[in-house]
Parts: sequence; structure tokens; C-alpha cells
Amino acid sequence: MKKPASAGTALLQGTLDVLILKVLALEPLHGLAISRRIAQVTGNTFQVKPGSLFPALHRMEQAGWLSSSWGESENTRRAKFYQLTKAGIRQLKQETDQWARISVAMASALEMF
Amino acid sequence: MWHRFRTVWRNLTKNQVFEDDLNQELHSYEAMLAEEKSRAGIDPSTARRAARLEMEGVEQIKENVRDVRVGVTIETFLSELRQSLRGLSRNKDLSILCSTMLALGIGATTVVFSIFYAALVQPLPFRDPDRLVELRESRLSRGIDVAAFSEANFWDVRTQNHSFKEVAAFHFDEANLTGDGPAEKVTDRSVTAGFFRTLGLSPVLGRDFSYTDDRNGFNNSVVILGNKFWRSRFGGDPHILGKVLRLNDRACIVVGVLPPGEPWIDDQIYQPFGYRADADRESWEFSVIGRLAPGVSVQGAQADLSRVAATLDKTYPGADKGIGFTLLPASSWLASDNARRALWVLVGAVSCLLLIACLNIANLLLARGTTRQREIAVRIALGAGRARLIRFVMMESLLLSIFGTLVGLVLAYGTLRGLQAMDLQGIPRLADASLNPWVLGCSVLVAILTGVLSGLAPALQTPAGGTAAAMRDGDHQTGSREQGRLRALLVTAEVAISFLLLVGAGLLIRSFAELVNVNRGFKTENRLMFSVSMPESYYQHGAGKQFLDRFFERLSNVPQVIAAGAVSSRPVEGADTGMGIAAVSAKTSRNEGNPPWAGWRIVSPGYFQAVGLPLLRGRAFDEHDKPVWAEPGQPEPPRRVVISQRLAKLLFANEDAVGKHVALWKGQGNMTAEVIGVVGDSRERGPASDPALTVYISYGRFAPVSEFVLHTRGNPLAVVPTVRAIVAKLDPNLPLADVRSFEEVIHRSLSPQRFNVILLTAFGGLAMLLATTGIYGVLAYTMNRRTAEIGLRVALGASRNNIFGMALSQGMRPALAGMLLGALGALWLSRYLETLLFGIEPFDVFTYLTVAALLLATALIACILPGRRATRIDPAVALRIE
Repeated sequence: MKKPASAGTALLQGTLDVLILKVLALEPLHGLAISRRIAQVTGNTFQVKPGSLFPALHRMEQAGWLSSSWGESENTRRAKFYQLTKAGIRQLKQETDQWARISVAMASALEMF
Repeated sequence: MWHRFRTVWRNLTKNQVFEDDLNQELHSYEAMLAEEKSRAGIDPSTARRAARLEMEGVEQIKENVRDVRVGVTIETFLSELRQSLRGLSRNKDLSILCSTMLALGIGATTVVFSIFYAALVQPLPFRDPDRLVELRESRLSRGIDVAAFSEANFWDVRTQNHSFKEVAAFHFDEANLTGDGPAEKVTDRSVTAGFFRTLGLSPVLGRDFSYTDDRNGFNNSVVILGNKFWRSRFGGDPHILGKVLRLNDRACIVVGVLPPGEPWIDDQIYQPFGYRADADRESWEFSVIGRLAPGVSVQGAQADLSRVAATLDKTYPGADKGIGFTLLPASSWLASDNARRALWVLVGAVSCLLLIACLNIANLLLARGTTRQREIAVRIALGAGRARLIRFVMMESLLLSIFGTLVGLVLAYGTLRGLQAMDLQGIPRLADASLNPWVLGCSVLVAILTGVLSGLAPALQTPAGGTAAAMRDGDHQTGSREQGRLRALLVTAEVAISFLLLVGAGLLIRSFAELVNVNRGFKTENRLMFSVSMPESYYQHGAGKQFLDRFFERLSNVPQVIAAGAVSSRPVEGADTGMGIAAVSAKTSRNEGNPPWAGWRIVSPGYFQAVGLPLLRGRAFDEHDKPVWAEPGQPEPPRRVVISQRLAKLLFANEDAVGKHVALWKGQGNMTAEVIGVVGDSRERGPASDPALTVYISYGRFAPVSEFVLHTRGNPLAVVPTVRAIVAKLDPNLPLADVRSFEEVIHRSLSPQRFNVILLTAFGGLAMLLATTGIYGVLAYTMNRRTAEIGLRVALGASRNNIFGMALSQGMRPALAGMLLGALGALWLSRYLETLLFGIEPFDVFTYLTVAALLLATALIACILPGRRATRIDPAVALRIE
């Protein structure tokens, strides 16, 4: 299978999932809005390109974390909206906990030396 | 290679709806991106270009999305599969039990399917078999419908009809093949030149008969070999063409070899016969087939033949009075109505068995489902959709059915080989039955159906709303009351279907016992049968009679032989030669217009004694009696016949038949003969047929016979070497054929019935076993669930007997309901068995009562164990569980 060609993929993939889950926890969004919201909340650290966004969305939908439906965008354009499922909410909680643990661990590890 | 595989995979996974959806999604994304940019002040066309650029190639994105989706689907599937497998291996006993039941069910189904396919579905080995028909002469005004054709009538029909592309006739015969290896009796069919062309087949080797091949000319004697015979006798020799064979001392050249198959092309040797001006019009010896001309329907051909019949009736008022023709479609050539019906009964029976297996597995899975409620509840809590959950539960039953199918196919293969090795007669093309793609396809379909059916109830039982309740209850391994009722319902259905099957099997067993024990008329114990195939020269100048007399004389010196006789057509197995017969007397003219049809047999004087037919009146034949036919160049003999008892009653009512005269071949030859004796009736056409009306004619110089019956002391087969030695000494070129004890002849004739009995009994037994485990399972489950309640009852003073009675009534309720339903169903269905039964009615009280008693007993046994366990419940322990 072809891998999306963008820098730091390995790190990004795990990060991307949790970011998508996070921004969708507030409200259902369509693809472009998700991308913009992620850029916004990470202070433009992560610019998610459609080439990585859509595979991720579809993968998460298949995994049962997201569900999608067609709706109207803020500019009255037809767009596909994604929202979290119960399993998605659970997944978000799990990953958040994990990230918290990792960041605490990393922070303390880096401080020691 | 890899690329091609990927392409195929892509096409398989490409779903149009999904593709459209994805297209729209990406399109709307791009449009919004462009809008965003133009809002930021870039001019619209530049914005669009920039947006497109940012999409990095839409196709690439789509490809990635597809890959992700396929990957995830496979991953989910694999993980579900792993989970199911883990679940199954955790419950090893249950899984093995379920797979075994399915293996039995699917194995049985596959066996029946393969036999059914070979007999009824597999097309005949001919071109456009639906355009082929068999033609038969009839004299419906005289109640005769099954007659063959006379030779002359065949040639007339062939030239006068307007509805057949080709009509061909054949005549069955046997011949001695000598020289080139040991003398052998072979089946030898004479066919008209167009016979194979009518069937639409051509020889695999050499040529077909041409219309100029004429069997009567010596020099161009040609034969075509049957495929099986070519392989067995000549080892499939590819250079067989041109070889000279000696048939009945006549030299014949092999010109062709037929393709394999049946019917009608499975004889050993074929010879051509052509038109004869002096063809016989009175002896019905030929079978006739025809291929309908394009555009002609069977009805059209029937009408056309009625026209021909009317002409013949007028032209030949003697032989063809009242002539008519009937047509039989090719589909009936292999399987008789009864064989067809028996196969359908088997299909019904095996479906019932499979259904019981499904119900039973559903039942077991339901029981286990209870203990799994918690697991399922957790899954629901985690957000698994209902559809996904059902798929998860179904996957288990499907896996079970896959295991079951694999084992079942192995079982089926073995069973089929076993059945084929039993050399059963009368099941069409049994030897051809195999696990071919059609059969395998059916089995796989059935397996999937079974998986879905047996998984359906457990799947629907997945808690829809009460997740919390299920999680709470899960630990206690109890099920809902509703589930208990569902399981009782399944058991009721199982018992009902078992009842059906057992009644079917019981009726067939009873009927078979009647068949075996019916008075056959003959004595079959210690009787040896064999035939000596005489060459044509034996039928001239009294050579055959000379041989017979010397043979009988030698046999009379063998101490083990009590009596020896010979007949023209072997009882039960032989061809049935018949004639119209009437009494010649002033008083009895009532049969004049419609003379009864009686079989005729030429016999030696010792025949009645050898075959054990009692002489009731008058005398048997002696050495001075002669055949009814005059020998060429000799004066007419005094014509004398012996008749069977029923025929005597029919012709002469209560008068003494001895001394009276009868007209033989009534309506054809009108030969008058004197009745000199009356012998007992016999079931000439086999135990399943009514005692035959028979006329016995004495053998003689002009009419030698070649089917022998010996009454022996002790084992009849023990005298075979002696007999062989005597025959070899008299004429080394005479082969002995079809050597069997009379018992074996009867045994073989009952093959179809035995086949049905064996299979249906096996199915019935299996069904009962499954139903019993079902009853046991449900009761054990219910009692387990009620442990606390029973403990309370005991604590409140219920006696052990009370508890036991309660358990029993709970367990027996679904069983009794099932038996009642089964009995009603059996009453309704058993009429379809009627034509397969012999000597008993479809509603045979004895069978119904036996089946009811049997099921009752097994149900009780199934209830006793859980019932007794219930009585041993210790209230203190039971109440603590709660």
C-alpha cells in the first residue's frame, strides 16, 4: 500500500488520529473545517493536507470511531460531516490518557538530564 | 501477475455508491478550498488552480482512501474471525458437538444430492434429449398399454409418420462370443441403422452403421462395441477396428466403439438390422425411439401417430385391431415414477434431518449465548452496532458449518463409495453419482443456509435495549424466560420433524418386511439359477433339446440335485413374454371382447418341481408333450398347456379348468390348446408385483430353453463346479452365465426398496438422536436456571417426587407437543409414500404407535437425568447462589 508522502509521517499518524478525534469532540465538522480547526488549535504546527486527511477519516470511520453524513456547510455548500461515535469518544479518552502519560514521562525524562 | 491480481481485487472492492460518495466529498472539499482562497482576495480562477494544486492529485487521494478502507475491512474481518475461532476453541466440546451434527446433516444431504443428481438431473448422454421420445404400441381397448413394437409395424410407422426426424428400433438379444479368449455370453442389441443418429451420438472410434449394413447378409456382418465392453474385454484397444469376432459362430467385423453412458448404449455388442419384406407383425419384440422433427410437439406427434394407427387398424384387421401408440418422454427413460418418487422422498427426509441439526445447534448456541450475554453487552456498551453484533454471532455458526461441511463431505464421499460397492440394482446411474461441482455447489449453499439458520436465533437474542440488565445478569449465567420458551419451541419442532421421519422410516421398514415375507409362490430356499447361452444352431434340428435331455440326465446322477428344470425366462429377473388368452367354451364368453393378458413361459417337465410350484389339478408336462408350435415339415402337435391358478379362476370361474380349451395369442394368432393342469400362483415379476397370470408351454425340439433352476440339498452354490464340469463336457463352447441362488435373485430385485429403507432408517435414527439431545439440553438448562426456585420449594417442604414430577412435566411438554404435531404432519404427508408401500396402508396404526412409544421413551430418558439432578438440589446451597 502506498503511504501518504509527507514529512514525519510516523509521528503524525498517531497524532493525526487523536487531533481529529479532539476537534470532532466539540461539534461535527466537514473535511476542510477539520483541517483548518487542527491548524488553529495547534498554532499552525500541523497543516493537514487532504492526502493524509481523507485516508485517516475513512480509516477511523471504518474502525467505528466516526460516523458521517451529508449536510450543508456554513456557505450553504453540500459537504460531508464527520462526528464521533460512542466508540470514538471512548477512543479519544484512551488516547488522551495515553498522551498525558507520555508527555509527563517525556517531560520528566528530559528534565533529568 | 501482481498487477493483474490488484486490478481484480480493485474491481471486486470498488463499490459504485462509495465511489460516487468519495468523488462528491473531494469535489466539495476542493470547491470550499477555492472559495476560502477567493475570500482571502485571490482572483477566482487563480484560487481554483491553487486549490487543485493543493489536492496533490485527486486520484492519488482516492487510491489511498480505497486502500485504507479495504485494509480496515480485511482487518476487522480477520479480527472477528480470530475472536470467533478463539470463542469456539474455548468451548471445545460444544464446537465439536455442533460440527459433528452438521457434518452428519451435510454429509447425508450431499449423498442424497449426488444420487438425486445422477438419477434425475444429469442430462442423458444424447443431443437435445428433450426432443427424444420412446414409442410404444398399445391395444387400449384390451387394456394393454406397455407393449413393445412388432417389427412390421415399426417399418410402417417409420415410413408413414410425418412428425419424426428419425425413428429407430432395437431388439435385445444375447449371443455367445467365442474364439479369442474364453467363451462369453454377451448382450447383443440389434439396432436399425439410424439408431445412434436418432439419439444424436456418434462412435468415439470408427463409424456408425450405414443404411446399407444388413445383418442378414453374411459378408458384411459388422458390429459396434459398447464402451464398457471395449474397455473390459479388449482393454480399450485403439486398434480394435477391423478385428473379427465370432458371435454365435458367425464372423463379425468391429467397425466402431460407442461413447460411454446409459440407457441403451450400455450393452456389449450392437448389430445392425435392416428392412425385411417378411417382417413379423404379431410378435411384440422391438423397442422404438424417435426424434421429433423441428417444430413438432409431443401432442402433434401423438395426433400424427393416431392417424397412422387408424390406417394400420384398417389395413391389418387381424394383427393390428385396436392398435394405438403412446409416447414416453426421454426424461422417463432412466427413472420410473416410483424411483423418482423415492428420490424425492429421500430429499425431503434429508432436508428434515438437516433442519433438525440446525434447530439443535441453534438451541445449543442459544444456551451458550446466555453465558455470553455479558460479553455481548460489553460490546454494545463499547458502541458496536447491532448489525455488527449479529455478524459476530453469525460468524461463529458459519465457522461451525464450514467445519461441519468439510467433515461432512468426507463422510459423504465414504458413504457414497460404500453404497456403490453394495451393488444395488434399480437406482438409476448410482455408479455415476459423485461429488461433482453441481453437488458441491448445493452442499456449500446448504452449509451457508445452515450456518445462517442455526445462528439466527442466537443472533436475534442479542440484547437490544437492556444492556445494563444483561451486564448485571451475565455473571449468573441465567437466561430470560423468553429464551426458555424459544428453546422449548425449537425442541417441539425437532420432535415433530423426527416423528415425521421415523414414521416414514417405520412405514418403509414394515413394508419391506411384508415384501420379504410375502408368499412368492415359488420356493426359493436351496435353489440355484443359471443360464446357458445357446448358439443359434441349438435352435435348429433339435440340437438344443438333445443337449437339454442329456444335461438333465447327467444332473439326475448328481446326488446334491433333487430336481432340475428349465424355463424360457427366468422368474423375477427375466423378460416378461405375454399374450392375450381366452376360454373356448359356449358358456364363458364374457371375456371375449377383452381377453386377459397372461405371461407365457416354455418349461421343461421338471420345472414345476424344481422351482417348487405345486400342481393343484390335472397333470404336469411329461416327455411326450410338445410345444404348441408346429415344427416345420411336421404335422400339428396336440396343443397342451398348464395354467396358473388365478388364470384358471379368471377363465373358468368355479369350473374345473382341466380338459377345457383356451385360445392362445387371442386376437393375434388364435391358437387353441387344451388345459392339462393347474399349478400354484407365483410372483413372476418379483415380490412387489401381484401374482402373475401364467400359461406354461412344454419345451421341445422346436423350442429349447436356457434358464435353469436346480433344487439342491444344502447350499445351492456348492453344486456350481459340478454343473460347470457337466456343461463343459457336453459342449465346451457353452458359457454358464448369471449364476445365482434364487434367494439372491429375490434379494437383488428388492434393492430399490432396501436402499430406501437403509437411508430413511439412518436418517430417522439420527433425527431421533438429535431430538433427544435437544430435549435433554433444554431441560438441563431450565432446571439449572430454576435451581434457586427449586431450592426454595424444597425448603418450603416440596418432596423429591414433587420436584421430579415438575421437572418431568416441564421436559415432556415440548416433546409431547412435538409428537402431536409430528403425528398430524405424518398423517398429511404419508400419502405421498403410498405408492412406495407394499402390503400396508400409509396410516399404519402399528407404525404410528411404535414411533410414538419410541420417541416417548427416549424423551423420558432425556428428562430423567436433569430431573434427578433437580431432586438432589440442596436448598441451603441453592439459595446461597442468589
